[in-house]
Amino acid sequence: MDKPLELTPEELRERIRAAGVTIPDHRLGMVRKLLSDALAHVRALDSRTIKTVEPAVRFEAGHE
Amino acid sequence: MSDAIAYATIRELGARYRTRELSPVEVTRDLLARIDKLDPMLHAFVTLTADRALADARAAEEALRRGDARPLLGVPIGHKDIYLTEGIRTTGGSALLADWVPDQESTCGRRWQEAGTVLLGKLITHEFAMGLQFPGHRFPPARNPWNVAHIPGGSSSGSGAALAAGLVHGATGSDTGGSIRGPASFCGIVGLKPTYGRSSRAGVLTLSWTLDHTGPMARTVEDCALLLQPLAGHDPLDPASSRAPVDDYAAFLGRDVRGVRIGVVRNYFFEGVDPEIERAFEEAMATLRRLGADVRDVTIPSLAATHSFLLILLAEAYAYHERDLRAHPELYGDVLRERFLAGALVTAAEYVQAQRIRSQICDETAAVLVGVDVLATPTTPKPATPFAQALDPDFGFPRSNMPPFNITGSPTLALPCGFSSSGLPISLQLAGRPFEEGTVLRVGHAYEQATPWHTRRPPV
Repeated sequence: MDKPLELTPEELRERIRAAGVTIPDHRLGMVRKLLSDALAHVRALDSRTIKTVEPAVRFEAGHE
Repeated sequence: MSDAIAYATIRELGARYRTRELSPVEVTRDLLARIDKLDPMLHAFVTLTADRALADARAAEEALRRGDARPLLGVPIGHKDIYLTEGIRTTGGSALLADWVPDQESTCGRRWQEAGTVLLGKLITHEFAMGLQFPGHRFPPARNPWNVAHIPGGSSSGSGAALAAGLVHGATGSDTGGSIRGPASFCGIVGLKPTYGRSSRAGVLTLSWTLDHTGPMARTVEDCALLLQPLAGHDPLDPASSRAPVDDYAAFLGRDVRGVRIGVVRNYFFEGVDPEIERAFEEAMATLRRLGADVRDVTIPSLAATHSFLLILLAEAYAYHERDLRAHPELYGDVLRERFLAGALVTAAEYVQAQRIRSQICDETAAVLVGVDVLATPTTPKPATPFAQALDPDFGFPRSNMPPFNITGSPTLALPCGFSSSGLPISLQLAGRPFEEGTVLRVGHAYEQATPWHTRRPPV
């Protein structure tokens, strides 16, 4: 089943447990909103519709 | 000190030094007095380096006597306090590094020093270039000289405030999601985020390796060009540093813009824009048309997914801060700590997908920049945010017009293009092809010279 676009409170708590970090209860809403907003387009993405390209800025930076 | 000297351009300052009408020591002393008077209200400086400034100024004076003609000689500057300064504390705007004195100098700092600048001090930054200082923080946040009840933008907050108040003639900034251009917009000054790889990040605290840019902030486009010149060029200490040839940026200024193709990106950048800002932007486009530019509409559809860049920023920031967050969480500012911890919650797959979206945005932007020379947008959709709103933890990271060009690494200039009815500055954003800073500066300079916005001063 597809994941909901928004990060659910349960999923947030699972992620916090898995990462081994501590986030106080009064900041959970803020963190959930921050991640939900950032994740929205990634979750809506059909990975197969983006052509395979190197995930980086691609001009000559760093090269001879 | 007269406002005429405090707000003199770098070229004017140099000309008056060379005719002996002014001396770097005199200007430095006057600026230190001005800082003493105004900074208790603005909090732009976190560390004042008066002795160093006077020593630099005396050295500049000696060099001028010898006929040294370097354009930045004796120019008073400040560094954003994430630029490491050898022997001078570098706080990152944080309690964690509040007393840290590095034993190395950033490449940018060294290059400006070699160019003969006068270092007045270190300028407050949002904590680790990310978090506005909330009440109770070790350091107070900088305030906006146009209205001290508003933030000056961030994260190069002290740089923006100090320039607008006439406390320095140039400053370094850094830009991961708009931290040079945001303060430039909110403070009515000019900020240039150069191409990724153009200006070294060596010796600058990291926020996000693949998004961080260093660059100059100033009060005019020409000043920005002059300040960029020594920063540009390969640095073996920065693995992303480019060997692309460096242009003579000042040589682009004064060229007319007849025939220059300017693409107004009509999607993404106008969602939620204040009517006053939209009006000022359209008037700026009309001005550029009158100057002979070919202004046309373009679209970059993939920009709809811009906000996913935050996954990259958060994950990379967490990777950088993880050890200290685990060892000394109490030394991170309230709210910022939890924002950094959010980076621990981004999965590897999500990070990779965000980078793939980034590639798509890079591809589409590059394709559009075949048909036009420069992209134009409003820099920020609203004028400077009131502190009352910015200090709401849930204010977070509203949608912004600046991250698209961190994603693509494009050279991007922010410059004043009007004022709101409440007297706050409004800004125009111009982005170009990689390593074409000269073209962006050329268009910005032509617009600036045709308009009065850069001559207005805040009521400090």
